[in-house]
Amino acid sequence: MSNTPASLPTSLRTSLENPSNLSPDLLKKAQRDAFRAGLKKGFPALTGIAAWGLVVGVAMIKTDFTLWQALGMSLFVFAGSAQLAALPLIAVDAPVWIIFLTALIVNLRFVIFSVILAPHFPHLSWRQRTFWSYLTPDVSVIFFMQRFPTTKPEVGKFDYLKGLLLPNWLSWQIGAITGILLGSQIPNEWGIGYAGTLAILCILLPMVLNRATLTGVIVAGSVALLTMHWPYKSGILLAVIAGMVCSMIWEEWHENRPERKEKS
Amino acid sequence: MSDPDIWLVIALLTLATLITRSTFWLIGHHITLPKRVNEALRFAPACALAAILIPDFLVRHNQIDLSITNPQLIAGVLASLFFLKTRSMLGTIFFGMVVFTLVRVTV
Repeated sequence: MSNTPASLPTSLRTSLENPSNLSPDLLKKAQRDAFRAGLKKGFPALTGIAAWGLVVGVAMIKTDFTLWQALGMSLFVFAGSAQLAALPLIAVDAPVWIIFLTALIVNLRFVIFSVILAPHFPHLSWRQRTFWSYLTPDVSVIFFMQRFPTTKPEVGKFDYLKGLLLPNWLSWQIGAITGILLGSQIPNEWGIGYAGTLAILCILLPMVLNRATLTGVIVAGSVALLTMHWPYKSGILLAVIAGMVCSMIWEEWHENRPERKEKS
Repeated sequence: MSDPDIWLVIALLTLATLITRSTFWLIGHHITLPKRVNEALRFAPACALAAILIPDFLVRHNQIDLSITNPQLIAGVLASLFFLKTRSMLGTIFFGMVVFTLVRVTV
């Protein structure tokens, strides 16, 4: 960790935060606008996020967690799919290291997302990088990429990210705490988590208008279906990688054969 | 599980979140990825969403269910059409939940 931004020359750090050399007032305004834009972009998905949080909260109470244990898990772990995967293992008193490994495997997709996001923020201190990356779930990365497709320095990137992450964390926790408190009064068959699925659907649909992406989506979905009985949700990572590879193959195939492009 | 054990698990799961989300932010600038991998990463988000989403629509009671009595599937198809028409996420979530509940209750 010796290569933290502290070792970068001050002039370089400033230029990464403020590449167009705005005056302090204009910079502040640009950052405030970016924060608001992030809030606005993330807002519609918050219902879905809260619905998922609620499902995980209910699951914890049904696993016989005490109130404090459930609150602690929700506030600190902050990774719904890993929590859901861990709960049945906790219920059967599985060895602690197995539970840890399971959570790592379920979370592996976050590594891919962090590879995408990290190059945007080399100028932050390592404390900031640790804290904000810890708060970053999949959906926020996608919103961020749509606004900032390249890693070139731009004013307001960090503020935009904060505008996405803070409400996301808050609605997740509100949902989870509601689930913990209402607990068993919410029947499973209401399918509240389906609201989260619908939110993802609305994020995914505009992305598949590109055919290379559509190819990857179909492959990833099929592999996920074929591997759904694999332990620890390990099929998800395979599905993502298979989808990415097929998107790449499709793209190259069509770049090399322009005459096919017109037909498709 | 005893109370201290549960707190140990909570600590380890927090560590699992941190390791997977933060490692690359902290040491990523020491690693140069091949150009191909970087290009392929453009497709990662859509593929990851699809890998979560498609089973959510098609799998019911641990089996693939393609019938019209599967509320997740029917609501998913109708909600997709609704979204493509309106482009409203909140509207789609609401509409989809209504369809889902109607199919679930009537079938």
